[in-house]
Amino acid sequence: MSDPSSINGGSIVAMAGKDCVAIACDMRLGMQALTVSNDFPKIFQYNNSFIGLTGLGTDVTTLSEVFRYKVNMYNLREERDIEPETFANLVSTTLYEKRFGPYFVGPVVAGINSKSGKPYICGFDLIGCINFAKDFVVGGTSSHQLFGMCESLWEPDLEPEDLFETISQALMNAQDRDALSGWGGIVYVITKDKIVKRLLKTRQD
Amino acid sequence: MNTMFAEQFNEPATNHSTAAPIEHRFNPYSDNGGTILAISGADYAVLAGDTRHISGYSINSRFQPRVHTLPGEKPLIVSANGFSADGETLVRRLAQRVEWYSYNHNKPLSAKSCARLIQTMLYGKRMFPYYVATILAGLDENGRGAVYSFDPVGSYEREQCRAGGAAASLIMPFLDNQVNLKNQVDPATGEPKIATDLSLEDTVKLVKDAFSSATERHIQVGDYLEIKIVTKDGVSVEYFPLKRD
Amino acid sequence: MFLTRSEYDRGVSTFSPEGRLFQVEYAIEAIKLGSTAIGIATAEGVILGVEKRATSVLLESSSIEKIVEIDSHIGAAMSGLTADARTMIDHARVESQNHYLTFDEAMKVESVTQSVCDLALRFGEGADGEESVMSRPFGVALLIAGVDENGPQLYHADPSGTFYRYDAKAIGSGSEGAQAELQNEYHSSLTLQEAEQLVLKTLKQVMEEKLDAKNVQLSSVTPEQGFRIYSDDEMKVVVEQLEGSEVPIV
Repeated sequence: MSDPSSINGGSIVAMAGKDCVAIACDMRLGMQALTVSNDFPKIFQYNNSFIGLTGLGTDVTTLSEVFRYKVNMYNLREERDIEPETFANLVSTTLYEKRFGPYFVGPVVAGINSKSGKPYICGFDLIGCINFAKDFVVGGTSSHQLFGMCESLWEPDLEPEDLFETISQALMNAQDRDALSGWGGIVYVITKDKIVKRLLKTRQD
Repeated sequence: MNTMFAEQFNEPATNHSTAAPIEHRFNPYSDNGGTILAISGADYAVLAGDTRHISGYSINSRFQPRVHTLPGEKPLIVSANGFSADGETLVRRLAQRVEWYSYNHNKPLSAKSCARLIQTMLYGKRMFPYYVATILAGLDENGRGAVYSFDPVGSYEREQCRAGGAAASLIMPFLDNQVNLKNQVDPATGEPKIATDLSLEDTVKLVKDAFSSATERHIQVGDYLEIKIVTKDGVSVEYFPLKRD
Repeated sequence: MFLTRSEYDRGVSTFSPEGRLFQVEYAIEAIKLGSTAIGIATAEGVILGVEKRATSVLLESSSIEKIVEIDSHIGAAMSGLTADARTMIDHARVESQNHYLTFDEAMKVESVTQSVCDLALRFGEGADGEESVMSRPFGVALLIAGVDENGPQLYHADPSGTFYRYDAKAIGSGSEGAQAELQNEYHSSLTLQEAEQLVLKTLKQVMEEKLDAKNVQLSSVTPEQGFRIYSDDEMKVVVEQLEGSEVPIV
């Protein structure tokens, strides 16, 4: 278990609903089997774009700062907010810059386009290949479990409240079958004019 | 020809590389994919498995049933998923032991005893294990559904439900959530929901859903789903088509 | 009897022209020299009783062990060459424990009896040059008592490897008289206590010595308590009961 992407643990999931998206993460940070922190959120907001970063803890922190820097520069130059689609491409190019010495991360982007109002979610590999998805994207050490949960719980055109229930159940039950994820959760439900952030109280083991 | 001898006898050097020895190693195990799933109820137990048999990215067979019925008038069903040569061998030897038991002791082997027998057989190969995830399903002494699951070297446990094999990690959290109602609360009281026995119809629906989902996201799962159901009346079988891609 | 000795007496596993295995028959005879052992099966449990024949006044009677535990739910009483019984009892104990280990259930009394009897004919030359374990048949018979899913049961296993289930059975030197007595007195509604007394009464009739709490041994197998050998105090109580219930001989 010297694989950099599974030393610290952690999981991310994003889902699209009817005129809404949701993104959720766990709260654990560990060193192999030892849990170091139960207050390590992995979702970061830049304007109306959200990114969930799983993988090597140091790269999660570093990248979140890099994106803050880059989005700030974008805002200053363009004098407007960055759209989720644009942000996704920023993530992609940033990761590919380190093609031969990559950040060990599995990012997931979610947001709603402020112009079209269309939900947008996508995932990436560690060197920035974008995975566009209509339904859901997952990442992190419990990605297998999340795939199983999402594939069986998700359905098209969920309303915000139903989307919250679906993504929460998917995350909680997936992380309960992964020793490297868990210790609480955070869920963002994003609609065109409202962002709701909820903390999930989960089992602590 | 060895270089040393080539020099000695002044023979022309061949174009074979003689620099480093080539190591050939036999690997006794392979992975034949597939997934199994068992759920027990009040008076039944189901054990289902897909029928795809693979090696690497190749599909060897789209219909290779992996859920087996053991001999005897009180039937037990078993599947050993993973390396199918080991799985098949284990099940055949187990079937023989079950038959011997009924001759020697003049009674059918109970689910509990069969579970212990499987442990004994698996642990007997502790140093060269059968490379399989094993699940046994049947009815217990009180006529209730029983599911026992095993690791490759015989550690076992009786459970309400269990998934094994390639897509076990995809299905297991779904089962926790839908069978044992994990992480679900009663909206009226806010208390955690208590799991009750599922009807056979609901169970079969759940099994089909679980496999349809696993098929969608796992390349080693697909083709057909074979669902075996044990009740006091015996074993019945149902087939359900899965995606073939 | 020895007048009938013939060449068929030499090989232990050679049939005589009449189709008999003399050595096995002699072994069965040997049991009739042993001390008497009695077993009675009732609906409540099984009672085993043996006479402990002291060959010397200096002999410590508590060292005579003729009833042994096979498993917590099975016991056995022996008569004949009791040293031979060690092999059989050891085998039965191992088989019973192995069964529990392999199947997570107590071994049936009949299965234990069968496994003991499987040993009985492993004497003689052994097939195809294989070394045989024993040079002669066992010289001992066992009464195997136990409780399983089929209720309390009593089996008799003899040196020929055959076994039968009995409601009540006597073996050893006093077996003929004792068996006749059991046949008269046994009925299917006997209580465990009545069986206790019947065993003692029958032993008393066939024993040469006067029966007391030291020269007999009782044990019981019940669904509640499993196999149990009666303690010295319990033996005193049951022997006193026997004496109290009988009309003193003037």
